[in-house]
Amino acid sequence: MGKLVLAKNITINYNDTQIIKPSSFSINSGDFVFLTGISGSGKTSLIKTLYAEHKIQSGEMYIGEFNLKKINKSKTSLLRKHLGVVFQDFKLISEWNIIKNVMLPLLITGIDKSNAKEMAMQYLNKVKLSHKADKFPFELSGGEQQRAAIARATIHNPVMILADEPISGLDEYSASLVMDLFIEANKLGITIVIASHSIPQNFDILFKQLHIEKGKIYELA
Amino acid sequence: MNSLKSHLTLVLSLIAILLSIFLFRIFSQVMHLYQKNIVNNYSIVIVSTKPITSLNISEISSINPININSEIKKLKEKYKNIDFSNLKIPFFYKLKLKNFPSPNKLQEIQKQLKNYDFIKKVMTKSSSQTKIYNLLILLKTTTKIFMFLIAILGFLLIIKQLEVWKLLHYERMYIMELFGAPVWFKGASLFKIAFLDSIISLILTMCLIFLITHSALFNNIINELNINFQLNYFNEIILLLITSFLISFISSVIVVIGKK
Repeated sequence: MGKLVLAKNITINYNDTQIIKPSSFSINSGDFVFLTGISGSGKTSLIKTLYAEHKIQSGEMYIGEFNLKKINKSKTSLLRKHLGVVFQDFKLISEWNIIKNVMLPLLITGIDKSNAKEMAMQYLNKVKLSHKADKFPFELSGGEQQRAAIARATIHNPVMILADEPISGLDEYSASLVMDLFIEANKLGITIVIASHSIPQNFDILFKQLHIEKGKIYELA
Repeated sequence: MNSLKSHLTLVLSLIAILLSIFLFRIFSQVMHLYQKNIVNNYSIVIVSTKPITSLNISEISSINPININSEIKKLKEKYKNIDFSNLKIPFFYKLKLKNFPSPNKLQEIQKQLKNYDFIKKVMTKSSSQTKIYNLLILLKTTTKIFMFLIAILGFLLIIKQLEVWKLLHYERMYIMELFGAPVWFKGASLFKIAFLDSIISLILTMCLIFLITHSALFNNIINELNINFQLNYFNEIILLLITSFLISFISSVIVVIGKK
């Protein structure tokens, strides 16, 4: 497998404070990665750096051919079209119904509405939410909203899914359903990076762990 | 309700701006026609010892001789003992001006005319002319200030609305941005609102314009001024449409590209 993410001696600052000290790591295409660390260790900042919301302070970081140190606005848009992002607070558009939310990445890439709707329905079916397609986010439970968010993150067949604490706050059943969806996406070849304070118990597929401790990122086998 | 409020603020602001632009334009047109009317009826009378065909004064548009034969005839009948054939009668002329002169300009023209040796007398209607001119200037200035204030108020309302829009649409546009949406995609719904509000504002403004220009008061004023005022509705619609679109489009672009 080729390297999808390559970070060499990167440092990340947040409000003038260095939260990631010089660290290097890599992620291969198709990897299932857990990014672990205690609260405030810099997991979210690293995830944000991976979708080019934060810039690295020093070092070099590449996602495929995108150099995150020198990335501009148009290249950021292009990079994000190849990524799927899942958030702890779901970030579904509140004034849109669920099916339209799931259609979003396809509409951005220019796929016509009827095809996008058809595909969104298939993905909602996969995450067992087809019966709630016309509901609005506030009408769904947290677990359901997160499943909708995963459908949105996978519908455009991204290279990598970045998930920031996707199961914290969810009940055990919903958390297990959400993790199953990530595993399923990974089986399709999508690289998964999940920021989480811990690795779920009974997680039985091969994964890689990036652990942040005292600002340093460690690659654990 | 919030959405209606958001529409109303932009629509009302646009109406205020469009209406002030329209009224300013109409007032300027009416003033221009009225000034033309006055200048057509206004003339300076001069008495010269020799015939004049031209004068080197740029403000003069035409020199028309005044026929005094009928007056001489009357005088001949009245004063039969006077031999008019031995009298050297001067030449009388009516000078038309290109523009309605300000009191200062009129004084300047008078001075220039008096510089000619052969011009013996210059007669102007300076007192009544000055009053009309001052009244026009006063009206023009107050209208300008009033329209300017309305337009400023309109713009202030739009700026306030931009702040509300930023808060209302920021979350949605941010989420879209996370999935790589280009600017036009992020702003699509805002552009639609802006387009719709521009159309609504234009329609309402045109209704108001129609009411104003067809009111008895407006027509009475036009009749009183004795001017040939014709409003080209098509031109006005195009001008106001462009203005309305530009304002709302620029406002939405500011929201889309601006930071929270």
